[in-house]
Amino acid sequence: MTARLIAAAAGLLAALIATLVFAHSASDAYLTLDSMKASATMSGDTLLHGQWDIALRDLDFVLSLDANGDGDITWAELRPRQGDIADYAYRYLRIANGTGPCTIRPIRQMVDDHADGAYAVLFFDVACSGRAKKITIDYRLFFAIDPSHRGIFVFRSGAGAATALFSPEKATIELSP
Amino acid sequence: MDAISALRRASGRALLGAVLFAVVQAASALDSSMVSPPAPYRAPYLPTSDAEVLQQVPPASDAKVREMKTLRTALDKAPADLRTADLLARAYIGFGREVGDAHYAGYAEAVIAAWMTRQPPPVEAQVLQAVILQFRHQFADARALLEKALARDPRNAQAWLTLATLDMVQGRYPAARDDCAQVTRHGSYVLGIACVGNLRSYLGEARQSVVILTQIAGDAPRLSASFKAWVEGLLAEANERLGDWPQAEAHYRKSLEYTPHDNFLLVAYADFLLDRGRPQEVLTLLADYRQSDTAFLRIVLAQAALHSADLPRYVFLMAARFEALRARGSDYYGREQVRFALHLQHDPQSALELAQRNWEVQRAPWDLRIFLEAADAARKPQAASDVLAFLSQTKLQDPIIEPLAKRLRAELVTR
Repeated sequence: MTARLIAAAAGLLAALIATLVFAHSASDAYLTLDSMKASATMSGDTLLHGQWDIALRDLDFVLSLDANGDGDITWAELRPRQGDIADYAYRYLRIANGTGPCTIRPIRQMVDDHADGAYAVLFFDVACSGRAKKITIDYRLFFAIDPSHRGIFVFRSGAGAATALFSPEKATIELSP
Repeated sequence: MDAISALRRASGRALLGAVLFAVVQAASALDSSMVSPPAPYRAPYLPTSDAEVLQQVPPASDAKVREMKTLRTALDKAPADLRTADLLARAYIGFGREVGDAHYAGYAEAVIAAWMTRQPPPVEAQVLQAVILQFRHQFADARALLEKALARDPRNAQAWLTLATLDMVQGRYPAARDDCAQVTRHGSYVLGIACVGNLRSYLGEARQSVVILTQIAGDAPRLSASFKAWVEGLLAEANERLGDWPQAEAHYRKSLEYTPHDNFLLVAYADFLLDRGRPQEVLTLLADYRQSDTAFLRIVLAQAALHSADLPRYVFLMAARFEALRARGSDYYGREQVRFALHLQHDPQSALELAQRNWEVQRAPWDLRIFLEAADAARKPQAASDVLAFLSQTKLQDPIIEPLAKRLRAELVTR
């Protein structure tokens, strides 16, 4: 009987404390698209430059980057997995214009330190055929495993910039470059 | 020229369908000598050494990480098994609490998401979803879900316990007393008594609270470390109500022996140290927890108390974090925002407005205290009349709040 009560108490406990926890920030990624050089292609196609910062701890949750399981992701562990990171991430980003889907061309990856930890930085180009009046961005990174993930989107155009937020409720954004 | 109008000018059209949030160059208004750029925080780089540690993550060797992995594998094999999903979601919530990481609430939410789309959802899923919403301070939504769950399953102890917590945080003490009784009836005697013990410390009965909680702490050697840490944390709080600082500190230290990374306990102990004029110890205590926004606020408060030359940089970073939270649509750091506005931005008027908004959401002793501090600093005692009435009604005892309330009441009379 006592054991059952103890089990009940232990099983129920999370609720009481959980509400009082002010924890680390939840998961964010930062997606930047830059249309400053949109007219750079000779064919008249639209070209955007992209940068996508994704937290290593989020990537570790889905890809187990910490190969030896010691709690530290080292550069030696991250480097050979950059292909896997690209395969995973770009699956959840779709960009299209009025004439059809655009092509995302991964360029390279680096690392950056944000306030809440280290991020993989994915650089890429986006090529869309024709001169688009509008571009549609569909972002679903991590939504299936963590609906509280947010994609913080920055769009730069000329001297200006604006931000928007991707969430499971708003995974698609349309903009005019 | 702000960024959005610049964009409009550049494009000739506004962003279509985009939810506009913030202007990116928020930093430009600040003195350039102290600008630490918002995310990304430094230029992207390529590490130079294979051995360089880039990020710490929960080690796979940790028993709880292994348990989560095992449950995840089981759920992947049998995605329709509600019991496994329930266990995994609980494991995520428990681990997230223990290490102070909000990501795990999101993982738990994803696990139960499939069940939440059913009509009606299973009660277990509804209650867990309520726990997660409460974790994010979405109290009204959490309450609505709990009421639905309890209408279908009035014997659900988890739902009663979650509701008890919610009622205590929101200052609905008579309702909380009933909730605690239901926890005792349908769940566990020990937990129900702990629930009442906690409640009493808010009702001017901190002495009885200490007696009850001390007995539970002594009677419960076989309970889990997280349960013991919780009881020790409540004892620390009850002793603070009594102004028994040595006892309060002893219980904080004991609670942190059981769960050394518990974010709630760490910041509560840091607040205790700040109140005792020991900011240097706050820096030591929280050195490894800078990622936590709430811990970071205490670090900045400690830097202020030490008159650190770096203070402007810390204040800037804290402001950037609040901005990042706002950008992602999170608005559940009301208590922290009041303290930031009042003690670090020295803006009592804004602090009072934030305190008024926060008071509509939560009414724990800290919410009460910062409200009174803000009203006092803004020289608007009349703004605190409802809060002072709440204080009289609940009979909360607290050696820091009582003199403050007395002063505000005196000012109210003389005006």
